[in-house]
This record gives sequence, structure tokens and C-alpha cells, in this order.
Amino acid sequence: MRLPLLLLGAIAAAALAMPLVAAALHADPSSVDLLDRFAGPSAAHPLGTDELGRDMLLRLLEGGRVSLTIGVAAALTAAAIGTAIGVAAGYLGGWTDRLLMRLTDAVIALPLLPLLIVFAALDLRKLGVPHWVADSAAISLLRIVALAVLIGWTTAARLVRGATLVTRQRDFVRAAQSLGAGTLHILVRHILPNVMAPLVVATTLSVGDIILLESVLSFLGLGVQPPLASWGSMLSNAEELMNSAPLLAVYPGALIFLTVIACNLLGDALLARFDPRDPARV
Amino acid sequence: MIRFAAIRLVEIAAMLALMSFVIYGLIGLMPGDPVDLMLTSDPHLSAADVARLKSLYGIDRPLIERYLAWAQMALSGDLGYSRLFSAPVAAALLPRLANSLELLGSSFALAFLLALGLGIAAARHPGSRLDAAINFTAFAGISLPTFWLALILMLIFAQGLGWLPASGMGEAGSGALLDRLRHLVLPVATLTIASLGGYTRYVRAAMRDALGQDHIRTARAKGASELRVVWHHALRSALVPIATILALSFGTLVSGALITEEMFAYPGMGKLIFDAVMGNDYNLALAALLLATAVTMAGNLAADLAYAWLDPRVTYR
Amino acid sequence: MLPVAASAATHDELTIGVVQFPATLNPNIDAMAAKNYVLGFVLRPFTVYDADWKLVCLLCTDLPTVENGRAVVTDLPDGRKGVDLTYTIRPDARWADGAPVTTEDVKFTYEVGRNPQSAVSDAELYRRITSIDVKDDKTFTLHFDKLTYDYAAIDDFVLLPAHLERGAFADPAQYRVRTLYATDPTNPGLYDGPYRVSELVPGSHIVLEPNPHWAGPMPPFHRITIRAIENTAALQTNLLSGTVDMVAGEIGLPLDEALAFDKQHGGAFTILYKPGLTFEHVDCNLANPILADRRVREALLAGLDRQAIVASLFAGRQAVADSFVDPLDKGYSNDVPHHPYDPARADRLLENAGWHAQGGGARKNADGQTLSLELATTAGNRSRELVEQVLQSQWKQIGVDVRIHNEPARVLFGETLPHRHFDLAMYAWISAPENVPRSIFRSDEIPSAENAYAGQNLGGYASPEMDRIIDALEVELDPEKRKALWQEAQRLYATDLPSLPLYFRSDAFILPKWLTGLRPTGNQYPSTLWVTDWRAQP
Repeated sequence: MRLPLLLLGAIAAAALAMPLVAAALHADPSSVDLLDRFAGPSAAHPLGTDELGRDMLLRLLEGGRVSLTIGVAAALTAAAIGTAIGVAAGYLGGWTDRLLMRLTDAVIALPLLPLLIVFAALDLRKLGVPHWVADSAAISLLRIVALAVLIGWTTAARLVRGATLVTRQRDFVRAAQSLGAGTLHILVRHILPNVMAPLVVATTLSVGDIILLESVLSFLGLGVQPPLASWGSMLSNAEELMNSAPLLAVYPGALIFLTVIACNLLGDALLARFDPRDPARV
Repeated sequence: MIRFAAIRLVEIAAMLALMSFVIYGLIGLMPGDPVDLMLTSDPHLSAADVARLKSLYGIDRPLIERYLAWAQMALSGDLGYSRLFSAPVAAALLPRLANSLELLGSSFALAFLLALGLGIAAARHPGSRLDAAINFTAFAGISLPTFWLALILMLIFAQGLGWLPASGMGEAGSGALLDRLRHLVLPVATLTIASLGGYTRYVRAAMRDALGQDHIRTARAKGASELRVVWHHALRSALVPIATILALSFGTLVSGALITEEMFAYPGMGKLIFDAVMGNDYNLALAALLLATAVTMAGNLAADLAYAWLDPRVTYR
Repeated sequence: MLPVAASAATHDELTIGVVQFPATLNPNIDAMAAKNYVLGFVLRPFTVYDADWKLVCLLCTDLPTVENGRAVVTDLPDGRKGVDLTYTIRPDARWADGAPVTTEDVKFTYEVGRNPQSAVSDAELYRRITSIDVKDDKTFTLHFDKLTYDYAAIDDFVLLPAHLERGAFADPAQYRVRTLYATDPTNPGLYDGPYRVSELVPGSHIVLEPNPHWAGPMPPFHRITIRAIENTAALQTNLLSGTVDMVAGEIGLPLDEALAFDKQHGGAFTILYKPGLTFEHVDCNLANPILADRRVREALLAGLDRQAIVASLFAGRQAVADSFVDPLDKGYSNDVPHHPYDPARADRLLENAGWHAQGGGARKNADGQTLSLELATTAGNRSRELVEQVLQSQWKQIGVDVRIHNEPARVLFGETLPHRHFDLAMYAWISAPENVPRSIFRSDEIPSAENAYAGQNLGGYASPEMDRIIDALEVELDPEKRKALWQEAQRLYATDLPSLPLYFRSDAFILPKWLTGLRPTGNQYPSTLWVTDWRAQP
């Protein structure tokens, strides 16, 4: 449990510290230098330079910020939406439950691919999105987060609904109901804390999945657009250079791997901690 | 039980109908059409030609009209003509479906068998170094982007060692079994590694739960051999969640290998769907996507049925 | 019938890797580079431009000229000039099933081309032919309704075998579905080139074998396999592992990848670079008031160090372009205003235009507006994304803030550009030798709601001068006068700068060391048309 936590902490801290590193190197991640492409490690560029002469270390840290932002933001948002829906379905039951579950099934059944492409191609201005958002550099990032949330909330919803169904039958909930406690009060004080455990595990795991999704999107040409860089886009760009400048692919690949596996190990450790039947805990 | 299944089947049919509309709409929402792209690659083509072609292909009619025309045709059993393959949809789809089933079926079976072995081994020695190692390896496989994995395998085995072919389904002109098997190795390896981790964890969790149950202790107390305890009693209990995950993975059997197919130039359904969607080949894309959706939903139904049927009996045997 | 050389060479088979698979092999339906590449092996057009950019006869015996009497200028009733051209099909031309290529095929193809329902994509040629007179089995005369400078070039007239396709054409609206090229692509009678298609697996590969009735020079290989591998990294691996022998330049690796490959593995292959007809440029939307000012456009160009881009990103294998005509083209002229890299000049131009430097950061004008523009290109095209970022960085140096906003090709070309929702757009024009730039420069080709967004003059360039030159170029026959007109056109372009010229893209042909005789053409006619010149050294 400690190892993955430490690893993730280190990666996140490094990514956040990017401006400091940039100041120390007297460089910035987007300064193009055509005369210094594919350079090896040196004092000025500790990890060398990429295909446009930009400092690799800074690019990786910058990419980390983007990838981690996408992962965490999407995971948390999907979890929040999924929880709301799952709790509503599980606690209220009846038609609400049926309707919400069918909706969940419909979203799960939605084919990913046309959705991805339409998302990438949607003209946001036509949908009424304000100009300063639609034209901003971060729009491709927002698109990906939106997409990941759209396909991710269903897992949380199902999970939370299941846990809610179980918790709902528990004595202290019945007691609270018979004492006349309001629905909202019961949901927040009694139901939610008891569904937290599986939710936390699932959310942790989903961060890793979202980072992988982002790299697949980049591979298909639907990921973050330049000048924004993410580990996924750096990896898929460097793919074609595998035979000539393999390190450009190794670094982002390794970082994705470490981050995702850390998320997975952390999630697994949390599962073990929360699972009362885990013999290893005894 | 029958009632339950029947209701769900009706729901599935309704969902498919709804999905067909949504998918048609989604593809229609994608701006531009491949005919427009033709303009940019042929200097002799004029805008008048593009307009004429669009009218010929029926693209200039409103979306809802086109959808209704398609729905009518589909309901009478005619899936239409694939623009991309210049062939009837079924003729374009079926060989690719067969290829995908071959590819995904093999990797699914392989991954599952391996997961069974590894998961049981890990569950029998919980908390041990073996457990941790298996867990870590399982996670390693699912923490890499698939295209990356494919490329690495290709570089090592095809380029570096030269043992295996780097792409395709077989040498052109030869249908020899050995040749096709050689071409399957790398793509199947990629898919197996990518999915092994998930299955292993599932089996491990299910087996640990099963091994911890009362009737296991009872069996052990009655002197049953360890082998019997694990394989007969525990596995029975674990069967339910394992069967569930099996059924839930059905959907991927049809379309789950886009990246692998792209990397190894293996002509399967994943690539077909991608090309059909990108190429605005409505007929083909709809048929393929609806097939994939139907299989997924059938899998979900099977999982639910299995759960409902197996659960009460198993625990009390 | 000539047998294929049963030589002692170990290389009697060739496997070619390409990045795209043709959707259909029917020569008249769907315009696609991959299709043209494959058809170069199996079908003979009447005329093509060869590797020296000369018009030559492939299926015909002689090019019609006024001198040899095969071209006769006619006076049409409405006062315009037309032309009658007489061609003779090569006497030894045969379809691979033994049937001779005759004027029956010519008449049939014409019928298909004229029919609006047959889904022929490039129907311009057929529209211009008002009628055909057949003299005998091999000789026919085409009556054109317009006399144009390239009258002898009927390259788009690729024959369909009447004896096989007539049945499929019974219902013209169903032709594209029933054509044998789709339903029975391995039928030998569909092909009259040195090779015929013997196996076709859609999306995967095509296998070619020699045409037993081919009367020309010997086809060098027993069998040619064309494999489609869309992922370029995988294509490289296939090359290095020997699964494919060569990568076609016309539809192969992008130049910067080929260069990187060359650096690491070039020693094991023969790599040929050939500049092509793809003119990479940055279109300026003249509806944007900032860009409507020519000084700004000039400044943008002067602020770009195109030489450095070409030298470092493309190892100098692509030539910086000063105007839209390819240096290998007959009409090319170097006597145009050049715009070398001159940031000082860019600075002056911008100041004059009212954009004042703010000491680092984007320029502002008197109204407080920022000099900010959006640059779009096709998303997922790595090469372009690289260049884009360099452009952004260089323009930053002269105080122009450029935001990058990429879209997938289908969105860009299908909607964004025709609707003119852009500031700067980087993409390529593909031209043909001596192709008059009507659709990209003429003022009536500006896409708008009125003309249903047709036309490729996306920037909105309207110059009466350029219109005049274009009209004249289409009908002027005298070579001297043509040269003068072309020079005028290029000078005007380089002065007005409706778009910023970057370079002509080069193609990279990666060939095995044992393959010789392959000549990249640099134009839209693929090198495969001359496959009989290829040789495999033992």
C-alpha cells in the first residue's frame, strides 16, 4: 500500500513542480529549437530533446500534468455522477430504479467509436458553448474528460446501487427511517458512508483506466491537440520514431506504466483493507 | 425464470431498435463525408462531380429519411450494400467476423485458462510472495497501452529475432494451417497479455471468497483431500462470479481488438467498425455495431440468468 | 505471349507495403491514390505523363497533333473552337482473357461515363466529348466541345471491357454495385496491363500475376503482393523483418518518418526521394480583416524561416516553394518575388500595417486589438503538427500570437474550410502537370451559401487579373504565349500572396537493394505504370 502511494505522490509532485524545474533549466516546454533535435542528455537538457528540440524532461512533466489532470478530474466527476444515480436508484427503488438502470445499460451498450469521433468533431460553438471556452487551448482536454465521464459513470452507478441496496436493509437505516429522518439525511449520513469503500476502490482503479483511454485516443488521432502534450500523445507520436529515437517513446511509456500500475496496486491494497473477508488481514 | 428471460429479450430488441437510431444519428452528426475528401486528392474532380456523387449515394437526403429507409430495408432482411467494400454487407461482414472470432476466441480461451491457473494458485497461498508476484504480473499486463505492447512484441519477435511474421493473417495464396497459426501468435499474445490481468484478479478474488466459506472448512474437517477441496468444492462456489465475468466479456469477442488488428494488419471486426464509421459506410457500420451491441447484451443477459440460477443452489449443496 | 523470365534470380516475387487499401478497383469510381497505384500494374490508360513529365501514349499508337493530322481544330456552331482527335488502339492490346481491346470498349466506356447514374467520379472528360466516330476495330475519333491546351491528354479515359461489363451496366443505377471489379475482381478479362489480379482480400492484400496475353516487355516478377498496413510504425517493422520488401512512395511513409528510418537503417535499403505534386501551403482567409491586409500576409511569410524548417525537419529533401507551380512543371518560372526569411522586414511591414510591438508578447493596433490568429490543419498528421508548432514558434518571435486548432481531415475539408470558418489553414493542393488553377484561384470558385459551398478558393481570393490569366491559360495553344502566361500567374501569386507557400512535399521510396529500374515520377501517375522496367538483381 505504501509503495504505490509513494510512487503516485512522487509523480504528482514532480508534475506540479514543473514551473520550478523550468525556471532552473532556463527553458520552457514549448520552446522549439530546430537546431537541437534528438539531442542526448546534457547539462542543459537532462533527458535530451525531442523531435522539435524541446526539453524532454519539461515535456514529460508538462505531459504528466495533463494526463494526471484528465485522469483525476474524469475519475472524480464520473464517480460523483455515478454515485448520485446509483444512490437514487438503489434507495428509491421501483420505477426510478428500473428507469435509471435501463439508462445505465443503454449508455454501456453505446458503441464507443462513433461516439469518440463525433465528440472529436462536434462544433461546440453550434451547441452554444461560449466562444472563450470553445476556442481555448484546453478544449481538447475538456473533450476527453467529458468523454471519459460519459463512459465511466456507469461503473460507479452500478456499484453504488448494489451497495445501497444492501445498506438499505441494514438495521440502523430502518431505525432512522422509523424515527422519521428525512431521505436526504439518511442518504448522506447512513447510506453514503457505507458505499464509500467499494466506490473509493473503483475510482482509484479508474484513474489508471482513464490514462490508458487517453493514450488510445491519441493513437487514433482523437486525443489532446498540440501544443498541449500528454503522455499518451507523446507516446503515440514517438511510436513512429521507435526505430530511430526509441527513448522518446520509452520515457512516456514508462511513466504511463508506472502511474497506471501504481493506481492499480493502490486500488487493490484499498480493496484488501476494506474487505472484511480478506484472510490476509486476519 | 422464463418470464424474466422473455421480458429481457423484449427489452433487448427494443434497445437494439433504439440503438440503431442513435448510431445512425451519431454517424450522421459527424461532419463531412469521404466524398468531400475525394476533392482534395484528385485535381480533376470538380464540385459538380461531388454534388452528383452525393446525390447518387443518397447522402444529400435528410437523416431521418435515410434512417427510415434503412430501417425498412433491414426489417425485411436486407442489410444493404457496403460502400467501402463494394459488396453486400453480409459478404463484407462475415469473413471479418470469422477472423475476429478466431483471434479473440483464441486469446480469450488462453487468457482464461491462464487466469484460472494463476488465480487459483494465488488464492491458495494468500498473502504469500507467490500471491504478490502473480498480482503484480497481472497488473503489469493491464497497465500498458495495447498499441505499445503490440509494437514491443513486434520489435522483439518479428524484427529482432525474425521468428514470427510482423503482420497479416497468412501468406497470400496459402491457406495452410501452420502458416495461419504463425500469424496468429503475436496478435493473440498481445490480446492475452492485455486481458490476463483482469481475469486473474477476478478468479483470485472469487476463489479467495470461496475458500473462506464455511462449507470448505466443513469439507476439510471431514478429511477431504486438498485437491478435492479446491477443485470440487471451492471452484463450484467460485463458478458464479467467474461465469459472470465470462458472459460479460462476450461483447469484446466481436469488436474488442481494434488496436491489435490495426497494429498487426489483421482484418477483423474491430478494424471493420472503425473503417466503416470513419468512411460513413452507414449500412456496414450499423450492421456491425448492432451485432456487437446484441452480443454484449446477450452476454449481460446470460450473466444475469446464470447468477439467478446458480446462486441459491450452489451455496447450500 | 511471352513467358516470365525463369531466371536464376532468387527474387522472383515482390511484396509491396502500402498504407491504404483501395475501396474498389473500378477505374472510374472513387478517386483514390491507392487505387491508382494498383491499377498502374493492371490497366493501361491511353495517355499519361511519364517520369520526365512528357505526355506519352500507353494504349494508343500516336499522340494526336495538328502536324500528324490526328488533331483537327473545328468551328462549333456557337462560335467557339472545338477539336477532333483520332486515336488508334495498339494492335497488340488484349485483355487478360484473350479478348482484344477494341473500339467497342471505347464506346462502352463513353456510355458509362456520360450516364449521370453510373457513379463515375471524374466525369469532366466525358462531358467534354460530344460524340465518338468509330472507324474500325482500333481507330476512333473523339469530338470535343472545347479546345484546350492539353487536348491530347485523355488520361482519365480508362477503358472498361465491354464484353464483361456490359451485363453489369444493364441498369446504370446499379452499375457501381454490379460492376465485375467489385463482384469478381479476379476475372482476368478486366485487366489489359502487364499484370492481372489473381487474389483480393478486402482490407488486407492484393496478389498480382502476369497477364498471359500481354504483348509488351516481360513482367519481371512471377507474383506481386500488395499488403495494406495502415500503421506506419508497424509498416516499418514489416520492412525490417522482411515481411514486405518495399514501401511504395506514392502511398507510403511520410517523409519525416522515412528520413528517420533512413538514418538508422538506410544502409540496408535503397531509398529514393522524389518531390511530388503536393503543394503544402497556408491558406489565408481574406475575409478576416487582419489577413485582408497584404502587408500582414507578407510579414507572416517573411517571418518564417522555411529553409531552416526544410533543412532540419526534412533533411533538405523538400524544396522551399515560392509559388504554386512545381519546379519540374513546364510552366515553372523562378522569376517571381521571393520572400526570404527576414524578421526585420516582417517587423517593418507589421508596424506599417498598424500592429505595434509590445516588447515581447503579441502586437496590438491602435484600437487595442491583439494580433491573434488561429492556425488549423489535419489532426493526427504528425508531420503537419510538427511544422505547425514550428510556425507558431517562429511567428511568436515577430509578435504574432497564433493558436493551434486542429480537426480531423473530414471535418476540416467537409465543413470548416468550405464554410470558411478559419483564419489560417495549412494543407496541400494536389495538382497535375500544367494543371490550370481554376478551382483554387478563380473568383467564382469561392465557396458560399449561394453555390452550396462548392469551389476550392477557400481563402476568397478575387483578382480580375488572375481570372483573366486563368481563362487565357485554358485555351492558349501557343507554347511561347503559355510560358508567358504561366510566368504572369506565378508572379501575381507571389506578389498578392493569397496563401503562404511552404514547399512541395516529397515522397520516399524505400526499396530493397536488389530492385532496380524503378523511377518515381513525381506526378500523379504512379511509378507502377512502368513496372516492366523494374529488375531484380540476383
